[in-house]
Amino acid sequence: MHASPEVPALSSPPTPHIEVDRLELSYGGVAAVRGVSFNVLPGEQLTLLGPSGCGKTTTLRAIAGLEQPTAGEIRIDGNTVYSAERGINVRAEKRGLSMVFQSYAIWPHMTVFENVAYGLRVRRTGAAEIADKVHTALDMVQMRSFASRRAAQLSGGQQQRVALARAFVFSPSVLLFDEPLSNLDAKLRADMRIELRELQHRLGITSVYVTHDLEEALAMSDRIVVMRDGLIEQTGTPDEIYRLPNSAFVADFVGSANLIQGRHRPDLDTGASIALETVDGRIVHGMAYGRPVGAELVVSVRTVHLRISTEPPAAAQNVWHGSIRQTVFQGDFTQVHVAWGAQNLVVRCAAMEPLAPGRDVYISVEPRHVVLLGG
Amino acid sequence: MRSATSPISAQQIAGYGVAAVAAILVLYPVFFLFQAALDVGDPQARPPTAYGFDNFNGILQYPRILLNTLTVSVAATVMALAFGFVMAWILTRTNVPGRHLFEQLMAVPYYLTPLLGALAWSLLGAPESGFINQVWRALGGSGHLIDINTAYGIAWVMALFEGSVAFVMIAAVMKSMDPALEEASQVIGAGRLRTMLRITLPLVVPGVLGAAIFVFAEMLGSFAAALVLGLPSRYYVITTAIYQLVQQYPPKIQVAAAMGVSLFAVMFFMLFLYRRIVMAGSYVTITGKAFRPRVTDVGPLRYVLLGVCLLYLLTAVGLPLATLLYASLQKIAVAFPTAGNWTLDNFRVAMTMNAVRSALTNSLLLGFGTATIGVVLMGLLAWLIYRSRLPASGLIEYVVMFPQAVPRLVFAFGLMWAWVVFPIPIYGTLWLLLIAYITVFLPLGVRTIAGVMLQIDKSLEECAQMCGAPWAFRVRTVTIPLLAPGLVAAWLLLFIASIRELGASILLMGPHSKVITPSIVESWFGTSSELTAALALIQTLVVALAMIVLVAVTRRVGAHPVD
Repeated sequence: MHASPEVPALSSPPTPHIEVDRLELSYGGVAAVRGVSFNVLPGEQLTLLGPSGCGKTTTLRAIAGLEQPTAGEIRIDGNTVYSAERGINVRAEKRGLSMVFQSYAIWPHMTVFENVAYGLRVRRTGAAEIADKVHTALDMVQMRSFASRRAAQLSGGQQQRVALARAFVFSPSVLLFDEPLSNLDAKLRADMRIELRELQHRLGITSVYVTHDLEEALAMSDRIVVMRDGLIEQTGTPDEIYRLPNSAFVADFVGSANLIQGRHRPDLDTGASIALETVDGRIVHGMAYGRPVGAELVVSVRTVHLRISTEPPAAAQNVWHGSIRQTVFQGDFTQVHVAWGAQNLVVRCAAMEPLAPGRDVYISVEPRHVVLLGG
Repeated sequence: MRSATSPISAQQIAGYGVAAVAAILVLYPVFFLFQAALDVGDPQARPPTAYGFDNFNGILQYPRILLNTLTVSVAATVMALAFGFVMAWILTRTNVPGRHLFEQLMAVPYYLTPLLGALAWSLLGAPESGFINQVWRALGGSGHLIDINTAYGIAWVMALFEGSVAFVMIAAVMKSMDPALEEASQVIGAGRLRTMLRITLPLVVPGVLGAAIFVFAEMLGSFAAALVLGLPSRYYVITTAIYQLVQQYPPKIQVAAAMGVSLFAVMFFMLFLYRRIVMAGSYVTITGKAFRPRVTDVGPLRYVLLGVCLLYLLTAVGLPLATLLYASLQKIAVAFPTAGNWTLDNFRVAMTMNAVRSALTNSLLLGFGTATIGVVLMGLLAWLIYRSRLPASGLIEYVVMFPQAVPRLVFAFGLMWAWVVFPIPIYGTLWLLLIAYITVFLPLGVRTIAGVMLQIDKSLEECAQMCGAPWAFRVRTVTIPLLAPGLVAAWLLLFIASIRELGASILLMGPHSKVITPSIVESWFGTSSELTAALALIQTLVVALAMIVLVAVTRRVGAHPVD
């Protein structure tokens, strides 16, 4: 179905399919991307994640060739498609990529079949082969029976599927996704997420995916690049990004987290764990996960990892007193705001008995969930 | 890989080529206009022997003309705005019956042209022979009831037609106002009047002000009504004065050029001001969303308002058309014809006279030529300005929109002066008219096509690119089919505009390249008003046919969801 990139022999690390090197892009003096480098391996699904305006879509469009960067280099399959230094800028249509747009971009003057067949027609494919490939592609997205419909007669989800079929039907080497699910309603989005992931696995195609939706990124990616203000904040697998955020920004953006600041207490460190003392004298034990430990520390604790109890828990470490400020019922979970010294801690727990404001409680957390943030 | 990375693509060559053509079309005549205005040497010598600003002092020898121009323009602007505002308010904010039909009909006065109105109102309101004054005397009055050959007569006719422009602009502002803004005020407890004064009015003011400036600039440059109604009483405004100075013997080219440049400078400033106001002041239109405006139930008053709407359309459309038809069917146009006075001769003469037939053929030919070449050129320009990433696209937009600020008569003057010395002898031929039409209609065509182009989501084109389609293939398979309704509409608008063109044609047509609208004016002053009425109706019929097709096409655009 697709031209699989050369798989290198022996044990050398696989050659990256896409290499983005010190990419910079500014619009009339305003820097949107300020030096971004990452690689995408063959067959990998990489997600650019970040809030709006972080430069993720711009980066994607630069890879596509729809935006011209101001500096840096982009290589696809080892071929340089953009290089500021060498004055290379291969036009988008020559890069052999394909893209699914946020607005789907289904051509209203063509039928579903014609939409999907477009990329094949560009490549002067024979009529029989076109019919064959288009029908296979439409089958894969369960839209075969809609082949002769016009775009105006399709729902958002159906347009999404057509856009997808159109993007992969001509076996591009790379698929780019620009927030393809953001215009769908929540339920459909969740379904499409799974379908997209399955399809991506079946096609085994390298893809770069842009989203601001954390769940989408966690569910669909092999690797995530978190971006902020035109720079990369952290790169890692979904698990790494979630479990071991390396900055306050990532900790907070990737699911809600409590940040605790304090002074390092090397005297209380035990084996793998480190200890810090907050301004109001509480001792917090956490893990450094190989990150450098300075004198002033910031640790992150996910709201779901904190426990609240009215009886003292059995654990010896990380058990503190606090008092309930407010509880907010949110359906699947209850969000509890606890006064914890000078600070406010947010705890998410499975639906529970409401606790009256002002009530004294115990808060605890396992040290392995207290993650030291990197520099 | 080589071709893909080469710095110059087919797209760029096409882009810069088209931009260069547009720049030459616009700037070449403007250059000659300025040259003539600054020429203080021997009027016979070209190129000029001396330069200076004396010609501009020359303008001051005609203080009456400046005063006349100001009087007519201000009066016409005030009236046009009053018409536009009242109609806009009635049709967007009240529950007057048949609102949607009226809204569509409001475009009709604009398509009837001030020339037609001037001819008809001249038949109606000339002090001696005007039908209204004939009736007045028959009823026992003495002298005349109205005199259309005055400043206010000219302003009245211009306002009737420009009223529909003012309406479109003001109605757009009223429509784009979020009703929630007013509702918010009422929810807080402000009454209707308070809401109107404190919320509605301030929100509408920038739009109305913008319309006022725009209309005023148009009035300064308008020509047809002032020519038809002002010439008999020797009442000149600046455009007719320029025309007179160029046509008389010996011509005063240099002073005329100086007048043209001054008029251009004032209009340019006005339009600049207009853009500033529209961009800065109108918080209302910024969202670009179309809201369903809040409609007030005005109770039985709505039948009165219906009467107002009917009255306006009757005065601006019904009465002029009926008058022309009435006059064209008489041997000698009078208010109370005898049985023997009726005739179809005027139409027969109009259709058989060689001069008329060739003028009509020429006009149709020019209409087809202008529209066809224009759509290609203007389509490429619109794409270049609004879609390509050429670094100079902002500059190109300025050049292309430039003719908007120059009255067509003044532009034609520059063209005439430019092409007289051009080595290829096209002066006095249809080719010069073709060049003139394409140039003066650049803003019209580009804006029409751009309007549709901007509605087309950019990603539709980008997606074709991501599918691997080269530029020419993309344009053919995606851009043009999506633009098709806009291109057809632009073609028809250019065709209509060419058929009706007066200001540029009257200066540029030669004895063997006559076109219809100036011929109508010539016939008015040279032959009979009855024949002229027939000619005007024939021209209107051609325009009306094109209009019907246009409406049918734009209807289809509405049914074709391009988002």
